[in-house]
Amino acid sequence: MSFTERMLKIDRRIIFLVIGLCTLIPLLYPVGLPIKISQEVRGVYDHIESLPEGATFLLSLDFDPASKPELHPQSISLLRHAFRKNLRVIALTLWVSGTGMADQVVTQVAREMGKENGKDYVFLGWSPGGTAVIINMGQDLYGAFPADYNGKPTKGLPVLQGVQSLRDVNYAVSLGAGRPGVEEWYVFGRDKYKFELGGGCTGVMAPGLYPLLRSGQINGLIGGLRGAAEYEILIDQKGKAVAGMDAQSATHLAIIVLVIMCNLFYFSSRSRARQQGQAGA
Amino acid sequence: MRVKREKLNVKREQARSAFRISLLVAIVLCLSGLPVFAQTDAQTKRPLSLPQNLRVFDTPSDGGGSLTVLWSPAPDESATSKYQVLLSEGATVSDPASMKVVAEFPGNQRYVHESKWPWWTKPTTGDQHQFTLKNGKGVELKNGNVYSITVAAVLNEDRVMATPVQATPEPNWINWNQMNNLLLALLFGGIVFYAISTARKREIFLRRIPGLDAVDEAIGRATELGKPILYMTGAHDMSDPSTIAAAVILGRVAKRTAAYETDLLVPHREPITMAVCQEITKQAYLEAGKPDLYKEDSNFFITSDQFSYTAAVDGIMLRKKPAANFYMGHYFAEALLLTETGASTGAIQIAGTDADHQLPFFVTTCDYTLIGEELYAASAYLSREPVQVGTLRGQDIGKALILGVIGVGTVLATFGVMFDSQWPKLFLDCFRDVK
Amino acid sequence: MIFLRRQVPLLITLITGLVFAGQYYVPHPASEQMLTSVTKWLQIIGGFALVLGVSSLFHVHAVKIRRKEAGWGYSFVLYVGMLGTIAVGLWANGKEAVDGAMTAFGWVYNFMMVPLQSTMFAILAFFIASAAYRSFRARSREAAVLLIAAVIVMMGRVPLGEYLIPLSGDLSQWILNVLNASVRRAILIGVSLGTVALSIKIIFGMERSYLGGGKE
Repeated sequence: MSFTERMLKIDRRIIFLVIGLCTLIPLLYPVGLPIKISQEVRGVYDHIESLPEGATFLLSLDFDPASKPELHPQSISLLRHAFRKNLRVIALTLWVSGTGMADQVVTQVAREMGKENGKDYVFLGWSPGGTAVIINMGQDLYGAFPADYNGKPTKGLPVLQGVQSLRDVNYAVSLGAGRPGVEEWYVFGRDKYKFELGGGCTGVMAPGLYPLLRSGQINGLIGGLRGAAEYEILIDQKGKAVAGMDAQSATHLAIIVLVIMCNLFYFSSRSRARQQGQAGA
Repeated sequence: MRVKREKLNVKREQARSAFRISLLVAIVLCLSGLPVFAQTDAQTKRPLSLPQNLRVFDTPSDGGGSLTVLWSPAPDESATSKYQVLLSEGATVSDPASMKVVAEFPGNQRYVHESKWPWWTKPTTGDQHQFTLKNGKGVELKNGNVYSITVAAVLNEDRVMATPVQATPEPNWINWNQMNNLLLALLFGGIVFYAISTARKREIFLRRIPGLDAVDEAIGRATELGKPILYMTGAHDMSDPSTIAAAVILGRVAKRTAAYETDLLVPHREPITMAVCQEITKQAYLEAGKPDLYKEDSNFFITSDQFSYTAAVDGIMLRKKPAANFYMGHYFAEALLLTETGASTGAIQIAGTDADHQLPFFVTTCDYTLIGEELYAASAYLSREPVQVGTLRGQDIGKALILGVIGVGTVLATFGVMFDSQWPKLFLDCFRDVK
Repeated sequence: MIFLRRQVPLLITLITGLVFAGQYYVPHPASEQMLTSVTKWLQIIGGFALVLGVSSLFHVHAVKIRRKEAGWGYSFVLYVGMLGTIAVGLWANGKEAVDGAMTAFGWVYNFMMVPLQSTMFAILAFFIASAAYRSFRARSREAAVLLIAAVIVMMGRVPLGEYLIPLSGDLSQWILNVLNASVRRAILIGVSLGTVALSIKIIFGMERSYLGGGKE
């Protein structure tokens, strides 16, 4: 087996090692490259900026711990922004395995921003049914969530004053890692109950949501760690996402180099095979 | 000396002329300014126009709790003037000033043409003002109650109010705004039925789908190697068409595995899908004449959690080393984790998904991939039944119609921009509403 | 028997299919209420279905342990993990923390489930790299175009790429917004038509293989 053939069939653990190092080293020694703000992330930011004080902002944290590295920084930035603007925050999750994590992030950011549970924000928790929960909330929010995550009755909570259903929500953002997620919030929520909707998702899912963005069905999209980093810069509170961008830069570059290398080896082995074929003939 | 005196005289004369000119200019300016000031004064004092042709009615095609207000634009409305919408409960209003202001906006906003009514339900011409009062956000409109509504024009401290109009919000039984959708669905349904009837009369050509041709090859290889076949139905439940399509293909695959006497493993993420697939597999074994080979636990539930399921299936792949892996249905981030592990075991991999965001991963790691609606076409391709094949033809006709409209729309929009014409907009608006 | 296994399900499918397709066009609160009720039925049926799933899981792994099949130890771990988590979950009333103090269920969630799931997702990056290395070859002109587009998007989505090739950011946005969005729309149109056609076939009983039980 020639060198190029061996390189083409390289043990994938070597590739894993390269990717591991490219992730680890920039995390240990960050460079801090400048990050450009994209229009889709600005769309979410600008809409929250345009909301008046006391407007209702619904944040659906539709992800589980698996997507934490990408969607957790997004949720922290959005909550910080909403609390800074003194919006009334209604948080929930449609993913049962994300309930504990969603509660932690909402409580943590609210405490950091000096916000009071029940008055400035509420975490409704999880309710079974997935998309059915969105429909039920569109009919009657109190029917879908009679009590919040801590068991306190939602009816009469100051934060929900004047909010009967999704129709009364000024802006909703779904941070989705799959289904139910951004698309379901559009189909079963925004389309039926007419409220403004923004989205956030993992990097893998982002290209799939561009048609929704382009048609105006969502007014902004925070895509993956990059989107989270952009949002952190917009609110001027750099966090884990900005720190992770160097690692992402290095891994992208490593993959590009690997792809170029494999193509060089491929062409080299192909031309050798041709030469051998000609010589044989 | 004389020359000097003459020069002095000239200078004096010049100064006098300059003074006269300045005086003249000042007088002209003052005189010309007077009517300007007079005009401004007259303008501020001119009385505000009353909002004309005020109409209030129950918002059509909605679930109730909403009223629509329409009125004609006034000639003097501008960004500085404002309109207020006022509301009170009951049919009579003793004092219009006591009515509650529920909305206020600049005079040059809220026109019918800005609203999202399609042309077949638009209540009036586009230049009229429109405001929709809805239950919630400080307004309480109960179905069946009578409300008095009026519109006031406001400029600085002045406010003039139209005579209040009464209306009652009611829920409606039909949403006429979505009739386009119903018509298109019926049209498409009609096309499908027509295509099925055509398919019953004559044979319809189906292009090759290499992924489905490879099913036999994959099962044959598994039989030769004495290894099992792994079949997955995706992340969604039975309410999703992709899962139904995956279950239908499972029936065909199970029939072949029964005929070849090859083991079949079907790990599930959803219990109802598992129960349905058990029935389908059992039937396939019966039809293949091998009911004794059917194993109840060939379909088994793992977990509904995405990555726990992935870890479990990866484990099965590494331990049992199936000769062929089928990934049918909808997948998310687990797609690559499954297919890459499958590729590392050397199995033949056939995928079929409508998850467009996972297609790149399937294409790079699987031997064959059914893209998008090919998954739905699989049932027709494998069975060649006229109903199935006819449905495919119906889909193609539907697609041709959509492509035609997209093509015409693109040409019209380009034409409109190139020649600065307005008439293409009429057709484009029509397309937009019908879509 | 065939009546219960075939005709009744097909009748239920026909009636509910038509009623709920029509429900989309009826904005009346009664129709919305009907939808809400049915979604609640679905939730209840889903709950019962879980019993079906869990019993299947227990059965499969019990058989493995009994027969001492290869890897039966993992089945034992599954039993311990599952029963243990259910026990601590019930004990903590499903709460990860009570008055700021972490419960045993919270410990399982935070220190087992979160890192394990994150690990699984993180493997994706490694697998993307190995799959790209193995498969991303310019075998044809089309594959070469894909390769170039992928490199541009990968460069444009990270700060280092934009720093090295400033144009890559705008170019990748254009690829995502124009080329990618239009291709996805095309796939989406095909998928949607396929979905509608399949739904029509199911509602009118032309597609019934999903019911099992074969042709009557």
